[in-house]
Amino acid sequence: MRVTALEVSNFRNYAALRFEPASGVCVLVGQNAQGKSNLLEGLSLLSTGKSFRAAREVDLIKTGAPVARIAASVQTRTGEVQAACIITRAGEGARKKFLRNGRSVSYAQFLGGIAAVTFMPFDLQLIAGPPALRRRFLNIALSQANRQYYHQHATYLHVLMQKNAALKTPGPVNGALLQTYNEQLADAGAHIIAARAAYVRRLSQEAATVHARWVGAAEELSIAYQPSPDISDETPAAILKSLQAALSASSALEVMRKTSLMGPHRDELSFAVAGAVLARFGSQGQQRTAVLALKAAEYALLAQATGEPPLLLLDDVLSELDADRRRAFLGNLGHLEQAFITSVDRPELPSQTARVYQIAEGRIADAPLGAALSA
Amino acid sequence: MDYLAPPLSALIGELEKLPTIGPKTAARLAFYLLSASRADTAALSRAILDVKDKVRFCSRCYSLTEQDPCALCSDPKRDASVVCVVGEAKDVYAIERTMSYRGRYHVLGGLISPIEGVGVGQLKIKELIDRISAEGIAEIIVATNPNAEGESTALYLARLLTPSGVKVTRLAYGLPIGGDLDYADEVTVARALEGRRTL
Repeated sequence: MRVTALEVSNFRNYAALRFEPASGVCVLVGQNAQGKSNLLEGLSLLSTGKSFRAAREVDLIKTGAPVARIAASVQTRTGEVQAACIITRAGEGARKKFLRNGRSVSYAQFLGGIAAVTFMPFDLQLIAGPPALRRRFLNIALSQANRQYYHQHATYLHVLMQKNAALKTPGPVNGALLQTYNEQLADAGAHIIAARAAYVRRLSQEAATVHARWVGAAEELSIAYQPSPDISDETPAAILKSLQAALSASSALEVMRKTSLMGPHRDELSFAVAGAVLARFGSQGQQRTAVLALKAAEYALLAQATGEPPLLLLDDVLSELDADRRRAFLGNLGHLEQAFITSVDRPELPSQTARVYQIAEGRIADAPLGAALSA
Repeated sequence: MDYLAPPLSALIGELEKLPTIGPKTAARLAFYLLSASRADTAALSRAILDVKDKVRFCSRCYSLTEQDPCALCSDPKRDASVVCVVGEAKDVYAIERTMSYRGRYHVLGGLISPIEGVGVGQLKIKELIDRISAEGIAEIIVATNPNAEGESTALYLARLLTPSGVKVTRLAYGLPIGGDLDYADEVTVARALEGRRTL
């Protein structure tokens, strides 16, 4: 998968820009706050439909402008795809519209049209940070390759919100309504757990292989999926039964606490090296290497699922890594069709660099590659 | 809008309050009405007042009507043993347009959605239960929207009504007629697969 052109207007600090990136590794260099990450954010937005950092989507629109537009032409295995996202100010917030090949499409249809793996310094907290980060990782990875997963997950969260609202409604809780919500949650939740269990099994294998190549087989990395509730058998029917049983068993407590206590919205992932849980016993260095292996595995699985190498977006993450880890990560990606890497300093350029672009004040200029590499 | 005659800007202001009408459309409609004949504008304003004054809820099925009970409830040719349950009054017309349903209706007045403060008590569910015994209803067809709230409402009704012996059915999910299979989204196709039937 390769971006042949990216066009943005009134997006972040860009008034208007057309960028025709080279294939291979494109390095965007420039001082802080010049707009390097904004370009990666735009590309990521066209992949997941969401910003990887904006808390408020209205902030994506350039100050004073009414509408932001991000559009890209992408060469895929099956032909060229045009993807665009239009963000319009609406009251205090913003409204997004998605287009594929010039036709308006829903968010669900837009999602996954461009496959991308994003890696930023924030991801280094994946191992020891809050569990919501790990669930978010699973959701982004699975939604891109599996639209059914996206739908089931969106339904699950929606029904969960209704159930929590029902639990918080003053007065006695309607038992039959609670059972109805649990029936819907079990149905969607079982699909989510089955998809996550299958994905994490493959992810763990892939990450362990990569990890062993870097640090040796003695320090074996394993990723364990800990669903809520625990499941003993991974067949869809068995998962559905465990989830139904767990939901009805926790009903009384849920009514007392006025919130949902059981289900895949409380799932966890646990990382271990040679049997020791990384979040508790791992050094900073071990945790970093594990995240690198995880991201490399995510990349490999997405490439398998879509049948072609996805885009790789590395936002300022290489500068967080020492030279050995950097080389190990980039060396492992194998056939890389196109990657975008932002960096403040030039000496950090990976050896596969195809082209260096200088970014300053929302403008882009080619920088000579030779000069960059010898700097 | 100081440059407009006050009655004209008042009309534009009123039209702008309507759903899907923005300032430009409102101005276009207002200028059109200004140029239309007096008879046409009088008919429009009367029609608007009439819906407010004369349309009310049917005391039996809670759809909209001028006479109570409504034409559908009082039509003796309709099968009184089958009742189609819908969320909103406008859904009745969606089913009626098919010309293939000959039973009666029951309008809930919304779907269960605690987020929006709509609980079971706000909907005409108790009234539906009363009708089942009073009218000897044998089958309830739940035709709520195919979204999460529609599904919750349908499952809740099934849970509530099935023990009383009435047959509760739900509209099928399926492929749009006249469309291409490869244009339908995955979720719809997956649901249609689940709901397949023997030929």
